[in-house]
Amino acid sequence: MKRYSKITPEGTNDLLFEECQARRYVEKTLADVFAAHGFHEVVTPGLEFYDVFNPSVSGIGQEVMYKMTDHHGRIVVMRPDSTMPIGRLTATRLQNQPRPIRLFYTQPIYRSNPGLTGRSDETVQTGIELLGAQGKRADLEVIATAVEALEKCVPDFRLELGHAGFFRAVAAQLPVSDDVREDLRRVIEAKDYAALNRILDGLENTPSVQAMRRLPRLFGGEEVFDEAASLCSDPASAKPIAYLHQLYQSLSLTGLGQRMIVDLGLVQRNDYYTNIVFSAYVQEFGDAVLLGGRYDTLLDYFGLPMPAVGFAVNVDALAKIMLRRGQIPAEPQTDILVHGDGGFEMKALRHVSNLVAQGFRCETSVFETREQAREYAVLRGMGRIDYVGDTVETKVLKD
Amino acid sequence: MKPLRIALTKGRLEKDTVALFEKIGYDCTAVSKKGRKLILPIGEHRFEVVLAKAADVITYVEHGVCDLGVVGKDTIMENGRSFYEVLDLGFGKCRFALAGPKGKDFFSGYSAKTIATKYPNVARGYFESRGMDVRVIKIEGSVELAPLLGLSDAIVDIVETGTTLKENGLEVIETICDISARLIVNAASLKLRKKEIETLVEQMEQAKEGAV
Repeated sequence: MKRYSKITPEGTNDLLFEECQARRYVEKTLADVFAAHGFHEVVTPGLEFYDVFNPSVSGIGQEVMYKMTDHHGRIVVMRPDSTMPIGRLTATRLQNQPRPIRLFYTQPIYRSNPGLTGRSDETVQTGIELLGAQGKRADLEVIATAVEALEKCVPDFRLELGHAGFFRAVAAQLPVSDDVREDLRRVIEAKDYAALNRILDGLENTPSVQAMRRLPRLFGGEEVFDEAASLCSDPASAKPIAYLHQLYQSLSLTGLGQRMIVDLGLVQRNDYYTNIVFSAYVQEFGDAVLLGGRYDTLLDYFGLPMPAVGFAVNVDALAKIMLRRGQIPAEPQTDILVHGDGGFEMKALRHVSNLVAQGFRCETSVFETREQAREYAVLRGMGRIDYVGDTVETKVLKD
Repeated sequence: MKPLRIALTKGRLEKDTVALFEKIGYDCTAVSKKGRKLILPIGEHRFEVVLAKAADVITYVEHGVCDLGVVGKDTIMENGRSFYEVLDLGFGKCRFALAGPKGKDFFSGYSAKTIATKYPNVARGYFESRGMDVRVIKIEGSVELAPLLGLSDAIVDIVETGTTLKENGLEVIETICDISARLIVNAASLKLRKKEIETLVEQMEQAKEGAV
């Protein structure tokens, strides 16, 4: 029996009508913002070699990638992320471009989630990457672009800022192995205070240990910077905090104010983030709707080192939220049904073309009789029907 | 403001959590005198309690339909985690252990061992971290039966007192880790409703300290 001929695989779904409308609306709204800021669109293949996403570089576990082999037996995967392919593309095809390079994309990513959890295996993301630029101006531009893009869709979002360098600096001062450091990163990511304390209780109570203990709680408003600064006075960990504070103050000028959160315990994420990290949250969605950060060492992997910063937006999540909030303009209805009498089919088609050229939405009747055509037009709620015979008769069906 | 929604694991963890809430001073009569209602207001409607099976608590919190949850570390270990685990509540204590027939050296010999368990992910993770190849068989009921019937060499299970093991000629070979109830929080909720959640976590932490 064809058991699987009528359903879609778990984690995927069809989009119908207003759902499509919502997705395209979000895609277009965001793409317009990106293009207006000088970013250029690229599309990367849906299939890539597994090596592009080397888990030790990408931080994407091999178990979440959909894999298959090509006809030479090489492992290919369905794109699980867009930043890695854009790194590859930049390093191999845009070597001689003047920098910075501004790119954007809108394409689905694929990840194999454990079954029956209700997560999507196919997610449309759109995002920008600013490559070959370092420093505060680049970081500010990218975050400001994220803010501008989100304000057009979900203006009540909260923006969260963190810095991967702070955890690294503090962790580097602890007398522990790299494995323990990774354990620390993991428990801080989960804000698992109990496990964090268990690891740290075995160490001498130095200022770094005290700072590490507080790290998952170092989130909130601007006061976080003072607390962090009082915990770590050494230059290595003070520098990222001072930098983040500068960014925070600059971004406050855009009126973000209360909607900005600082989280110095933001140490999750793909391993490729080296510096600032940021994300955005909206009330109706249990996860971040936007994730981004600076990844200055990622391009090393593809042989053309250059600093870079970017973010990705979850288009599906925004589309769903905006649809539920009733912010997606409805799909326009068909204005006119055109019915050609027997022998006047070609004339009817020409009439349709003329109406379309004038800006109307028209359907051509496929029915044999005027009565059937009229019945269909009423059923579909069309406002007008044009009968095409020797002459064209226009009947208004409703106002 | 919407009330904070808290998912509690039905049964003992639910009772212990309610006791903790009452100690803080929240009115929990809706939970102690629940009828057939599934969403119960407590603490003058500042919170809503949802009662669920352990694994469902994680699902509700992960998806953000509940802001917080109380669930055992065993369930967290078995079902994975993409949420914040902010507080060890200190009750519901027990441990995960590897247990086998008394007096038999489990680690001797070179043939791959068979492990029966209700927690295949925990068992697999434990042996992976030791670099040991084992065959894991999932059992739904009394796991102690499996080695007695000759289906497995050992079991990975929750051990509280060890009485059941003893009565069946089994003993703990190694403790895998300690378990207790945890307070988990949805990532977005913590960011969006920081103050309310932090206040509650602090209150629970203080009430818990007082209990010891």
